[in-house]
Amino acid sequence: MATGFFTDSTLCIGCKACEVACKQWNELPSDGFEFTGNSYDNTSQLSGTTWRHVDFVERESVDAEGIATSWSMLSDVCKHCTHAGCLEACPTGAIIRNEFGSVFVQPDICNGCGYCVVSCPFGVIDLIEAVGRGDDAAKYSVATLHDDRLNERKTAVQATGGVAGKCTLCYDRQRVGMVPACAKACPTESIQFGEIDDLRERAKRRVETLQARGVDARLYGADDVGGGIGALNAFFLLTDSPEAYNLPAEPVLPSTRQAMGYAAAAFAALTLATIGWAIFRGEGGAA
Amino acid sequence: MKSYYDRPLLKGPHWGSNVVTYLFLGGIMGGLGLISLLADDRPEPEMKKLRKATRYTAFALAAINPPILISHLGRPERFFNMLRIVKFKSPMSLGVWGLVLYSGAAGANAVRELADDGIVPKMLRYIAPSATVPIQALLGAFMAGYTGVLISATAIPFWATGKRHIPAFSVCSGAASASALATLLSTLQGNHDVIPRLERLEMAASALEVALIADFRRRGGAATAPFFEGRVGTRLRDFTILGGIVVPFALNAIGGAFKLPKSLDALRSIAASTLTLVGGYVLRESLIEAGKLSANDPHVAFRQPS
Ligand code: SF4
Ligand code: SF4
Repeated sequence: MATGFFTDSTLCIGCKACEVACKQWNELPSDGFEFTGNSYDNTSQLSGTTWRHVDFVERESVDAEGIATSWSMLSDVCKHCTHAGCLEACPTGAIIRNEFGSVFVQPDICNGCGYCVVSCPFGVIDLIEAVGRGDDAAKYSVATLHDDRLNERKTAVQATGGVAGKCTLCYDRQRVGMVPACAKACPTESIQFGEIDDLRERAKRRVETLQARGVDARLYGADDVGGGIGALNAFFLLTDSPEAYNLPAEPVLPSTRQAMGYAAAAFAALTLATIGWAIFRGEGGAA
Repeated sequence: MKSYYDRPLLKGPHWGSNVVTYLFLGGIMGGLGLISLLADDRPEPEMKKLRKATRYTAFALAAINPPILISHLGRPERFFNMLRIVKFKSPMSLGVWGLVLYSGAAGANAVRELADDGIVPKMLRYIAPSATVPIQALLGAFMAGYTGVLISATAIPFWATGKRHIPAFSVCSGAASASALATLLSTLQGNHDVIPRLERLEMAASALEVALIADFRRRGGAATAPFFEGRVGTRLRDFTILGGIVVPFALNAIGGAFKLPKSLDALRSIAASTLTLVGGYVLRESLIEAGKLSANDPHVAFRQPS
């Protein structure tokens, strides 16, 4: 049974407990500190070592009493797409769909080619700097990753470096029946974890309730997002357009362009081969 | 237009000059496969020489290109993990297999030449069937084109917008660069008789290339700005369009139209070939650099090209 996240921006208080819990559980290194000046968001983006990121959307409205600022916060995460660009692109087969329906990077298979990075329509997955390279990477094979994890408090990610990293949907925790660290830490249940069908139903009820109260609520990814991607196993409830949260309004699965590309290359090759044949082997050419 | 503090939506490629070199040499390998097929089985002595030159060179490139590819990996020692699967949906996976098979065919063709030259035992000639010549040409076309498919089958808006044009002009650029390299080699060999034909092939390839690039610019829209404008656009114009296509084309046309004194003519064709090769490299470099810039612009990435 596929599991996933339903992240509800209307419940988020911007505490970043999810970011911290994720970093802690997965022992992800710090990305350094940069003061961005963009509201309270100094994390800025998801990365190979940041698997939850809280967006702080500020909206200003002017009325008789002056300028009012409203906030909408949303904890962004890997979408665990039904048809995932990263998974399709990966030439080593490092990225798989696991038994929970999540898109999972096996860090001991990944060779750091970086093709998944440019193939994610949501800009989620990224290469992790080569920290601690040369460490005993084999020790952290997938097998040991989940079974010995609770004792072996060191992630495969840190051990290997130079590989791709993103949310695992806490594969290791799920294996032992635990809730993902971010959902566990969230104090307002803005991040809900569960079985996908169940979450979708909850989300639809929630959006109806909010709309009845006059909130401009909409779901992102609960149903097919288009572009060949299908529905998202981690979907969101938004109160603004997707772009405001740095989500694409029209994402597209990159592999859908391949057939056209190969056809165009074949056209050019055939044209040149024909011309070349005339030049080298035609009547006048070979004379 | 709405955005999230203008933060990039996408992550750009981590690829540097080793990837650019790989794409460039892959294009040349592709073109050499074609020329080696065109020169196959011909009675003329200049074609025999050309055939040998292209086969040895293709083999040499097939030997140096994999290490260049491997050097860009975050974990180079795990290159062989790419050979654990064949994935038709991943141009990166197909490309690695294309490279492996191309190397095999190029090796077979080189061995046949070596056997004919008496450098390796004559009997080795028979383990390499002559079918490997058209096979190398076919795989070569794939080698020259798949890198264009590889980048356009990504989320990067500029690359994605070029799903028709980029693979097609990559093939043309590969063929032009291969003709230029073959011209240089033939000049070194003193195989002057074959050069006019190589130069005509180069002219045809670069004419088609420039036509495709112009069409791309006309239709591409906002997403192609990082490629045609700014720093990348200037380099592309100077080194690829003008220096790498227009000037060599003119030089080749002069060579075809007038009978220049021998040394002047050699100088002319060396200049034209070198410029074409530089232009081919800069084209691949511009593709990668524009891809990086394109990833930084969230506005074009919110609505991704189909
Ligand atoms: S959001 Fe990106 S990284 Fe996550 S599964 Fe989809 S394609 Fe892969
Ligand atoms: S970087 Fe790793 S996970 Fe990503 S495509 Fe390459 S091998 Fe697969």
